[in-house]
Amino acid sequence: MIERRFPRSLLIAGAVFLAALVLPAFVSGYGIRILNLALISAIAVIGLNFAFGYAGLITLAQAGFVGCGAYISAILSTSMGLTPWLSIPAAVVGSGIIAVAIGLPMLRLKGHYLALATLGFNVSFVIVATNWKTVMGGTDGISGIPPLALPGWPLATDHRYFYVLWGALAIATWCAWRIRNSHIGLAMIAVRDDEIATGAASVGVTRIKIQAFALSAIYAGLAGALFAHMTNFVAPDDFALSHSVIYLAMLIIGGEGSILGAIAGAIIVTFMPELMRDLGTAYLIVFGALMLLILIFLPKGLLSLVTIVGQRLKGRTTHAR
Amino acid sequence: MSQQFIQLVVSGLAVGSVYALVGLAFIMVNEATGVVNFATGQMVTIGCFLAVTTGLQMNLPLAPAYVLALAAMALFGVAFYAIVFRPLQDRPVVTVIIGTVMIGIVIQNAALITWGSVPFRPRSPFGRQVIDVFGAALSAHALFVIVVSFLMIGLLYLFIYRTAIGARMRAVAQDRDAARLMGISVDRMFVLTWIIAGLLTGAAGILVGPMWFADVNMGDPIALKAFAAIIIGGFSSVPGAIVGGVLVGLAEMLGAAYISSTYKDGLVFLVMILFLLVRPEGIFGERIGQRA
Repeated sequence: MIERRFPRSLLIAGAVFLAALVLPAFVSGYGIRILNLALISAIAVIGLNFAFGYAGLITLAQAGFVGCGAYISAILSTSMGLTPWLSIPAAVVGSGIIAVAIGLPMLRLKGHYLALATLGFNVSFVIVATNWKTVMGGTDGISGIPPLALPGWPLATDHRYFYVLWGALAIATWCAWRIRNSHIGLAMIAVRDDEIATGAASVGVTRIKIQAFALSAIYAGLAGALFAHMTNFVAPDDFALSHSVIYLAMLIIGGEGSILGAIAGAIIVTFMPELMRDLGTAYLIVFGALMLLILIFLPKGLLSLVTIVGQRLKGRTTHAR
Repeated sequence: MSQQFIQLVVSGLAVGSVYALVGLAFIMVNEATGVVNFATGQMVTIGCFLAVTTGLQMNLPLAPAYVLALAAMALFGVAFYAIVFRPLQDRPVVTVIIGTVMIGIVIQNAALITWGSVPFRPRSPFGRQVIDVFGAALSAHALFVIVVSFLMIGLLYLFIYRTAIGARMRAVAQDRDAARLMGISVDRMFVLTWIIAGLLTGAAGILVGPMWFADVNMGDPIALKAFAAIIIGGFSSVPGAIVGGVLVGLAEMLGAAYISSTYKDGLVFLVMILFLLVRPEGIFGERIGQRA
């Protein structure tokens, strides 16, 4: 069953990925910006899937790590004058190092306690970013971040940047897929399913958790750095705790433990407010209520709706016969 | 210097006792139902604004205004139980976290639409009256907040440990299934828990209003401090919530005055993270087996 299903879903995903290449030709300026934001979120949520979807770590720090990546790349490319081609990898590595440093002590905690500790990290990040004016710019943030550029061909417009993000997401997805099927990915899932048994099988549980946490931060760092060079401006508000919750919501709405689900969730949740523009100030009420309804009635995510409907239809046709 | 110190300690105690009330609302719900309610801060907001409606907009005398607001908060607690808690009960931790955060977003924006984005300045029963103690001018309202908070906490303590209903609530908290087998209506105890949470957060909102402003965004900062307070005090301990709340309140006021006003919140969260790492059971520890 699984062997048969995976190639098909991959085939569809691949087709959608390729089809997305022509999207910029049809989407206007504002739409492409939202689309770009969705792709950036997708990278961050694929990362979160390592920590939460595979290793079962409840982390409310993902937006903080996105912020780490964004600020590292922003600082290196403005006051240090580094080219974005170097500052982005530096941001990715830097976010990973920060995750290991705070993960070593924090990952001994579980459940609510881990959630609250990571929440503390995210809140602290915003406080530091807001107040450390000399380096992080305070509430004004950092502006004048240079865009990515190929020799003689700046990627400054959102339409061109879409292809950068598309490529980054494709690579990120492929890497995640490889990691998922490697012994590292399998060990993460083993830790989530039965931590004690995994430890008893002499697998280093702490090391695996830190790997999962660092991987999620690395993806977040990439997302943050790409964000910084798209908007050319970073400020603390974009990395607040509420964004961490949104990333978790994206993952759950797409379907936790699934890379394609992570991408789908990120795109759906990013576009949801746009579809509700007409509601004006009430849209957050509808958005929150809708999320709650999905959590209650579709705990396996919005994509599970497809399977449920599919089964219903199948059942109906067999009955008819 | 010493006068200023006394003033800071009193305002720290006042803010701290508000955090203690909110922390207790967290703990009551978490102990009885196993749910960490991330919308607790927004319940404080609603409590504060209900008092704005009764006390400022309807212009009632403050005593009936407060009673009315608290009664409405009790109803709010029941509604929260029925609409949010029942469906989320027994779901994975993360679903409950996101679910309660989402309902917090809903409540906050409903409050924004209802009361608008311009902050209100609720009246205090004592106005701007100042009491002179050893040459230090202390705000009468701050003293009122401290007295009322500790009165409420004392009453709650008596209720939980000295009444038959309190004993039933504790039984449900300890072992839900065994309590049900003993003929206790678990659902009724849950409703009662949410009413108490509504009253505690409502009181916190009413008391904090005249100290700060009534602002629809006031919930999250208060809830985060209350989180820090219960982690420092001990996640499931009533004295822990009080001590933790007071410590956070004092750290906030004294830290702002003597160390750094920009990093006062950072200090609080630094202490919280240190506690999580070094002494995760808090000052008044619980059974460590539950968290590890």
